[in-house]
Amino acid sequence: MDPYYLALTTITLASIYGLLALGISIIWSSLGMINMAQGFTFAVSGYGAWLVAQYISANGFVVVIGGVLTGALAGALIGGIAFIPLYDKPNFPLRSLIATLAISLMGGQCLLWIFSPRVKALPKIFGVGNIHIGPAVASYDKIGSIVCSAILLLLTLGWMKTSRRGLEIRAMMQNPEGAALVGVGLRSTAMSVMMVTGAMAGLASVLLSQNYFISPFAGTTPLVKGMVVALAGGLGSVAGALIAAVLIGFIEAVTAVGLGGQYVLITQFLFIIAVLLVRPRGIAGMIEHTRE
Amino acid sequence: MPETALVGSRRMLPALKGHGGASWHRWRYPFTRRTPLLIETDYNPTTLAAERRILNPRPILWLVALILLAIIPPVFGNNSFIAAATTFGMYAAINVVWQLQIGTAGIFSLASFATVGVGAYGTAVLSVYLGFPWWAMWLSGPLFGLVFGVFIAIPAIRLEGFYYALLTVGISELCRVYVVQSQPLGAANGGLFGADGFVPDWMHERAGLILGYYAALVLMIGGLTMYRMVNGQRLGRLLRAAPEKHEAFAEALGINYRAARIQVFLISSAALGGVGGFYATLLHGASPSLFMIDQLLLLLAMVVIGGIGTTEGAVLGTAIVVLIDKVFIGLGPSRLILIAGIMLITVLFLRGGIFGIPAQFSAWRGKRKSERRGLQSGKGGEVMPDEATEIADKQSIFVRRFDANLRSELKLLVNDALIEEHRTTSGKRRSDPLERVLAFFRRAAAADKYAVLAVRPFAEYRIVALSGRRGVPPRVVDDQVFHTPEDALHGVFLKRVQDLMES
Repeated sequence: MDPYYLALTTITLASIYGLLALGISIIWSSLGMINMAQGFTFAVSGYGAWLVAQYISANGFVVVIGGVLTGALAGALIGGIAFIPLYDKPNFPLRSLIATLAISLMGGQCLLWIFSPRVKALPKIFGVGNIHIGPAVASYDKIGSIVCSAILLLLTLGWMKTSRRGLEIRAMMQNPEGAALVGVGLRSTAMSVMMVTGAMAGLASVLLSQNYFISPFAGTTPLVKGMVVALAGGLGSVAGALIAAVLIGFIEAVTAVGLGGQYVLITQFLFIIAVLLVRPRGIAGMIEHTRE
Repeated sequence: MPETALVGSRRMLPALKGHGGASWHRWRYPFTRRTPLLIETDYNPTTLAAERRILNPRPILWLVALILLAIIPPVFGNNSFIAAATTFGMYAAINVVWQLQIGTAGIFSLASFATVGVGAYGTAVLSVYLGFPWWAMWLSGPLFGLVFGVFIAIPAIRLEGFYYALLTVGISELCRVYVVQSQPLGAANGGLFGADGFVPDWMHERAGLILGYYAALVLMIGGLTMYRMVNGQRLGRLLRAAPEKHEAFAEALGINYRAARIQVFLISSAALGGVGGFYATLLHGASPSLFMIDQLLLLLAMVVIGGIGTTEGAVLGTAIVVLIDKVFIGLGPSRLILIAGIMLITVLFLRGGIFGIPAQFSAWRGKRKSERRGLQSGKGGEVMPDEATEIADKQSIFVRRFDANLRSELKLLVNDALIEEHRTTSGKRRSDPLERVLAFFRRAAAADKYAVLAVRPFAEYRIVALSGRRGVPPRVVDDQVFHTPEDALHGVFLKRVQDLMES
């Protein structure tokens, strides 16, 4: 087992899972909603990027921007349908969960209708080739994935730490009622959260589509994995999501190399069940009372 | 006390005729004192005729629905409709049992269809590789469900709410990936087929379909019976005492709610496994679609559209979704969009699905009513028109209206001259206006009526108020002391005039 290969695969997977899980985690902690339509955002932004590559330019930068913008739009759409009308209604968490599930069912079928079940492939935006870092060999798209997601993650975290809007989001994560009392607009903040997390899913979609094809239901597996990572890390914790992403990426890489690809989900789930049995709120999860 | 509450919405129930022995006859479940129908016998206040009202029409509606279900598809449906109806029966059974997990046990498990899948795959394996006949598959299905239930119940001890829901979604996905990749489970053929079926080979196609449909209907009724047995009896009562966020209170009462929850969860898991055994004998095997997230979504759509936590909601939602999904199959993928649209509209606008509409509507109506009432002011004791619809005894409305009109008229008569006349004309002839006012005062109800108490005759008199109830003495109103009965009577008159002017 080549340790450099293992490390590289781990980091690649961790960066993509991190993007997905962070989105789910931030939405849960700030909006109190579980976004099951994150997979739909993922699939839509894949198609958005594909359309951009087909009709505007196959330039890697433009394709990434196209995917990210489509993701942000899809996120805004989900927020507009599932959060804005429901957030002050009784039984909000369950109803918004079901609403996002309905959106994901509807969206998948719409994509199937519009784009036909034939899979699409994105152009290789990072080019084809290998790069040697010391003793390790890395393909361009792996390096590109790591760099891109690291940049977006850092940008997002920096934005959340320093900007006014980020402060509002963090206030809402800590205490939504208190935030509303001191004048944070719940609706506008929620929409910006949805757009940012949608953009993250969009980038993850473009990056994963370097290795996989785009199809109407391509979002299911990333959704499940993102959710699982967010759960293991603890819903609502940024650091927990990142730690869990690295751990689960590592487990996936080790399992794929040591046992074979078909055992990946099984080992991941055993790991997560073990984590949740020891720490029911995940590695660094918030306690329920913070949300209420 | 009036028999019905003075204010509040009254249910409109049809009144049945019948008097004598019929009034007191009750149907009972055999060997118990429990009655399926709650019948109230009453006398109509206007006509004095005996009337009976059935307070819970639901058992009758269920019976009618089941009879219709037993007649319509086999008699009027074509073959594909009967097949769709069979799917409906099976899904309805799954959903009803699932309500036990979500509603009664309060464990938000999304692995219900996966449990069915495990049962189906398990029994199909037994049949294909060990040659089990169909009845043995039916018997062994619950065992697989129980084992899988134990497996997925372990995280339920520690996890709560959404953590558990998401985990169960993951477990279904895990099962799907395993089944798709496993060669012995038929990865190459898109499912494990070749299991024994309960429909005999010599039957005609249509007869076989009808047999399958009736079996599915019996399965659904079995699911409903089980729901009733678990939810309506001891376990259900225990869990109703321990709803979410009140667990600590229930525990303090000595209710072991965790054990009860797990017990309900395991019972329903075994039942779901049994449905899986039925599925395998009906379709001669199992396919990975049992573990697909889309199937799970359809199941969730059924429950959500009908109303989470109720059996009638589960059955109606199943009927709607199966009708769109299987009968209008010509619509293509757009029918799933339609289902998702209905689900979205339900969840955006309804609190408890279709069967929650009456409660939500009356809550909305009550809110609007109280808003309107808040806008109106100064009704002077009279009943407002919108309040009148809620008062059972209509005579009281007219009494209050007459009273209010009379008081406003008498107020015009009261002046200083009248009061002076009362003081000076004790025991003599009085003027017409004064007699009218006094007649109104004398007519007042006994409760809280003023009276004169002779503490020492011809020396000390005080004003008291009657209690209006036998055996309860009058209470002293104030510490005024009068020396003659005439003065005391005038004191009572002044008090009454004061009350009249203030009303």
